[in-house]
Amino acid sequence: MSDTQWPRWEVFKQDTPNKPHQAVGSVHAADPLHALLTARNVFVRRPQAVSLWVAPASAIFSVTQEELAEGPKPSPESTGVAGAYLLFRKTSHKRSMTFVDYVGQLEAPSPQAALEQALRQFTDAEALAWWVIPASSVVRSEESPETVESWFAPAKEKTYKQQSYYGVVGTHTSKLRGRGGADES
Amino acid sequence: MSPKAQAALIAKLTALADDELILSHRDSEWTGHGPILEEDIALANIAQDELGHASTWLSLRQALDGTDPDRLAFFRDAEEFRCAQLLELPKGDWAFTMLRQYLFDRYELHWLSAATASTYPPVAEAAAKILREERFHLQHTQAWVERLGQGTEESNRRLQAALEGQWGYAQQLFVPLPGEEILVGEGIVPELRRLKEDWLENVTRHLQASGLKLPLPPGYQPHSREHHTEHLWSLLAEMQSVARWDAEARIW
Repeated sequence: MSDTQWPRWEVFKQDTPNKPHQAVGSVHAADPLHALLTARNVFVRRPQAVSLWVAPASAIFSVTQEELAEGPKPSPESTGVAGAYLLFRKTSHKRSMTFVDYVGQLEAPSPQAALEQALRQFTDAEALAWWVIPASSVVRSEESPETVESWFAPAKEKTYKQQSYYGVVGTHTSKLRGRGGADES
Repeated sequence: MSPKAQAALIAKLTALADDELILSHRDSEWTGHGPILEEDIALANIAQDELGHASTWLSLRQALDGTDPDRLAFFRDAEEFRCAQLLELPKGDWAFTMLRQYLFDRYELHWLSAATASTYPPVAEAAAKILREERFHLQHTQAWVERLGQGTEESNRRLQAALEGQWGYAQQLFVPLPGEEILVGEGIVPELRRLKEDWLENVTRHLQASGLKLPLPPGYQPHSREHHTEHLWSLLAEMQSVARWDAEARIW
């Protein structure tokens, strides 16, 4: 069966300037700009954000702790070139919404080499999984104040409304019990 | 503000709100029917943004004459609406919806940018706030126009058909309301005639670069916001049905 879906892109969201970009989920999109626009709509409507990155899922070399223990894993051919790589790491199973956090960028001859370097360099926490992504595959939202204002600022002012918020619009029948459905005002 | 200017401003705020409200409803009709999940969510977001903008303009009107925004949205009849006919047209296919949103977003961007210099502070502030979201809307719809225009033979044909169907209607966005010149004279709202030149140049350039054929014969151009297409009646029948079902509803 042929796959008619557009390619999948992983989305990385940065909540504040001091926090790392974190993988928050994925979108299907036809091209890099479309992926970025779609990611903004799907993942930044409400929560706070200052920056978004997207990367094609096919460009990601991902390795789990268990796979590492079994020995070297071949990386996708398309990404096996020398250059800059972005390293992402998962350090906890506790959080359900985010998968891996950005830890840094390295120059390496291949994704495997980048991973080996990362294992030596980023030792401050135990890694449950790694993602290695060529820097050239990562598409980033613009950093201009105008883009930040337009893409991220409006969401910041809109808060989630819990269900209970809407209770004040009317009055649930249970509240009127014993008062014969009397007017609440 | 003179009573004449105030009356003109109330009419203008109503027209601004009605454009947003009716477009929002048309966009919301895609919810659950978008071509892919991501775009379904995106258009639902845009619909909610436009609804928020309608609410902003109506609250500015409320400050002037005390009218309740919900009453205006859900209990006015079609003859009392002041939306442009472009926004009433049925949602059509994806190309039709994206093109309408694009033509309107581009008009809004010009109008709002100019309105941030309004001498009436509430208008200037609202314009600045709405402008932020519209910048992003425009990026989104602009990207779609490019992709449909330059995509396949079918997507180009559909977009061209949408353009030919909407071009005359879009011109109505630049027809001033009766009495609007008073507001322009006092610097409260920008002059539409000037904005139209920028809009026309901008959309023509972008549409041509996206593989569409322009200029077009203008065709039918609505000239008064007091007149509507038949589509507004059926739209309102649906949009207002819940509120009118039990107007005094206090219990859910």
